[in-house]
Order: sequence, then C-alpha cells, then structure tokens
Amino acid sequence: MRKLLVLFLLAVIAFSLYKPLSTIEFGADRMGSIENPTTVGAYYLSKTPSELSVANVITAIVVNYRGFDTLGEVSVLFLAATGLGSILYRRRKEGEHSISISKPSSQLLQAGSKLIYPAILVLGAYVFIHGHLTPGGGFQGGAIIATGILLMMMSYKDFHLNHTVLTWIESLAGITFATIGIAGLIVGKTFLENFMPIGTLNDLFSGGIIPIIYIAVGFKVAAELAGVLDTLLSIKEK
Amino acid sequence: MMEILEYIGYAFVLIGGIFLFLGSLGIYRMPDVYNRLQAGTKASTMGAMSTIMGVGLIQPEWFFKTLIIVIFIAIANPLSSHALGRGAYRASLTPFMKKKMDAYDKEFHQNKED
Repeated sequence: MRKLLVLFLLAVIAFSLYKPLSTIEFGADRMGSIENPTTVGAYYLSKTPSELSVANVITAIVVNYRGFDTLGEVSVLFLAATGLGSILYRRRKEGEHSISISKPSSQLLQAGSKLIYPAILVLGAYVFIHGHLTPGGGFQGGAIIATGILLMMMSYKDFHLNHTVLTWIESLAGITFATIGIAGLIVGKTFLENFMPIGTLNDLFSGGIIPIIYIAVGFKVAAELAGVLDTLLSIKEK
Repeated sequence: MMEILEYIGYAFVLIGGIFLFLGSLGIYRMPDVYNRLQAGTKASTMGAMSTIMGVGLIQPEWFFKTLIIVIFIAIANPLSSHALGRGAYRASLTPFMKKKMDAYDKEFHQNKED
C-alpha cells in the first residue's frame, strides 16, 4: 500500500514537472537579446551598465534593485549574532578567566599567522571595496576578514576582541545603510534608490551609493562574524 | 621572446600538473594522516606554485599577481599542514607503525642453515 502511494506521488511529481517543461523547446533561449529583453534577467543585464555604471550585475541587483531585501538579510545576520550571544552568555565568576584554547599553539603558527593576518585583512577590504567591479562584495569581504580574526584567535591565546568596539562598528554600519536609504527618500526618490552621480563604468569611484553600502555591509558582517567567533571560543572550560 | 616565455610557462604548468597528480596519488596510497599530510602538502605546494607561475609566464601582465599568490602559498600551505599535523597528534591519532620490515631476513636465515 505504502509503495503504491510512493509510486503514485512520484508519478504526480514527474507529470507536474513534465507538463510545464514540455512546452519549452530544448535549448531554447528564453532570455531574449540584450537589446530586446523579454525576461527580468535580460533586463538587468541590459540596463545595469547604462543606468548604474556597475560592472558586477549581481552587486547591482543585490544592493540597488533589491536593496531592501539586503537590508533584511543584514538584520537577519544581526539577529543571529545577538541570539547566539544571549544563548551562550554566562556571568563570569570571581577569579575565573575565560580559557578559550587550552594549550598555546606552536611558535611556527604564531609567527606565520602574524605574517598572513594583515594580508587577509587587506584581501577582505579589497573584496568589499571592489564589490561593484569584481566578483565578491560586502558579505564575502566581511567573511574573509572574520577568517583572519579566527586565525589570530586560534594561534594566540590572549587575542581578544573588544566587544564595545565591535558593537559600535556594527551599529554605525547598520545606521549608514539605513541612513542612505532614508536619504533617498529625502532627495525625493524611493527608499534606497540611487541619488549620487554614477560616474563612469569600471572606475573605483562609480556606481553611486553601491560602494558605500557595500563597505558598510562589509564592516557589519566582519564585526558580527568576529563577535560570533569570539563568543563561541570563549566558552569556559569547567 | 614572448613565444619562448609562453613555452616555458606551459612547461611550468605541465610540471605542476604532474606534481599535483603525484600528490593526489600519495593521499590515496599513504597509510595514515601524517604520511598523507606530507604527501599532500609537499606535492600540492610545488604543484600549485608551479602551475600559477606558469600562468603568469603565459600571461606576462598577470606576472606580479601570480608572484604574490605564489608567495602566499609558500607561507600558508606548509603552515596549515603543520597545524593539522600538530592537531592530529594532540587528538592522539597514532602514527602508522609497520611491523619490522626485513626483506633479506628469510634469505639470510636460510643461508645460515645451509
């Protein structure tokens, strides 16, 4: 009986997949041409260079066309970090030190991570500053910076982050994002709509508000992930 | 001149590919974590460095970028494998100790008996 039911369900799924797909000719181009876009994707591809002068179309979609969605994503990250912090929070008893790593790491790792750490930070900053020109952006750059901080945490026992500074960075970045959105309203356009000069394509200073927002997102993501890692590492051992 | 550089670059890429293949073979054949680590790290460091240098020679305008990547690999790759090996030892993974290998043993003992 159960097997019959499974077979029936599989048949239904197969039919409902086959029916809509059968109308499309195999290998047909449904995007339409750049000059005459028929779908949303082709529209973005055709309009992004002229409307925003942004080379990375994905960035243009994420930060400009769907900027409100990105604001939501950033706040989801913030909520996740806050939730983790509040779950793992424990009041420190007197005379108790946070023991993040039980034994010190080797001298080789310490010396090497000192060499690599600045390079990782520079790479992360590069990725989010050039978010509108090359693949990558605020989220990726922030994650790269957080991995650099994780490396330092693993190799140095007493490497700790100042949570007050992290909170400040996070809040300021979030405020920047929202302020730019509201500034669009004040200028007389819609929320998070571009109101700055767009410059020329493939310049570092181009794309209007996109680089500013992505730099803010980069700082925010880096601070949040670093805070999460610090909270996770500083769970006390009994 | 440019063509010579290009051929040298292809040679580098080929050498790198061979090293990467040998490294993957080592990871497949070696008996325990430590042996696999050394096979993987040594071969992949050399292979990746050589491949990337080769690309830099084929496309000379990328040369300095590839040089930076090569320097980064030279620092990061041995370091990471060192940390992995140390972590494996601290997690008390025992190294592979083969029984006493003595191919001549039988032969010489037989000779004594004769």
